[in-house]
Amino acid sequence: MEKFSLDCTELQEYQPNRYPFLMIDHVEEVVPGKYAFGHKNLTFNEWYFPEHFPEGHNMPGALQLEALAQMLTVAITTQEGLKGKVTHALQHLVRFKREILPGERLDIHAEVLSWKRGICKGKGTASVNGEVACEAEMMITIPEILEQYLPPGKDKK
Amino acid sequence: MSNIEKYKQAFVESFSLSSDVNVQELAYQSIAEWDSVGHMGLIANLEEVFDIMMDMEDIIDFGSYEIGIDILKKYQVDL
Repeated sequence: MEKFSLDCTELQEYQPNRYPFLMIDHVEEVVPGKYAFGHKNLTFNEWYFPEHFPEGHNMPGALQLEALAQMLTVAITTQEGLKGKVTHALQHLVRFKREILPGERLDIHAEVLSWKRGICKGKGTASVNGEVACEAEMMITIPEILEQYLPPGKDKK
Repeated sequence: MSNIEKYKQAFVESFSLSSDVNVQELAYQSIAEWDSVGHMGLIANLEEVFDIMMDMEDIIDFGSYEIGIDILKKYQVDL
């Protein structure tokens, strides 16, 4: 199976988020439709650290989850014909285990459990120095594909 | 379990319905649970239960419990 890496410029072809919401720096390995892993380096220059919190800087949990979802997106959009497609979150279940601090590197792993008709079910783990910081079960969609399979109704464009 | 019972059970499981819901009256978006994601869950559930793979046009046409019965006949599933 084809596997490759994506640097910070290349990954933007497969991940539509941009500053300040691009939560991955590098994809070390991706197998389209199967998995992707990479990392985000967190410096004190990250826009959220000064305010979250002034007396205890740490990465917001919502952005940790976003990092996992973005890596899962890369695992999906690297499949043929899906480059640059926008994904939306459908349902996430996340558990936080450790604070992530300025100066640390967040290692992000995402695995596709199923991909069918525009809906992806997957799971992800983010860790620092091998210690799990958060893990999530995720469901994301490419609305452009999902909508093709829906009966006529109020949510079909 | 008969095919019709399996069919009804697929709706109950897919939408986490209580026993007092009359599944025969259900249609796409008639309840909150039968939304876009619920629709795909129902189709996936039916495909697994009856070991079939539905065509795209049938997934689109599957707009209610009653219509679904006719659609499944195309896949040799008599309810």
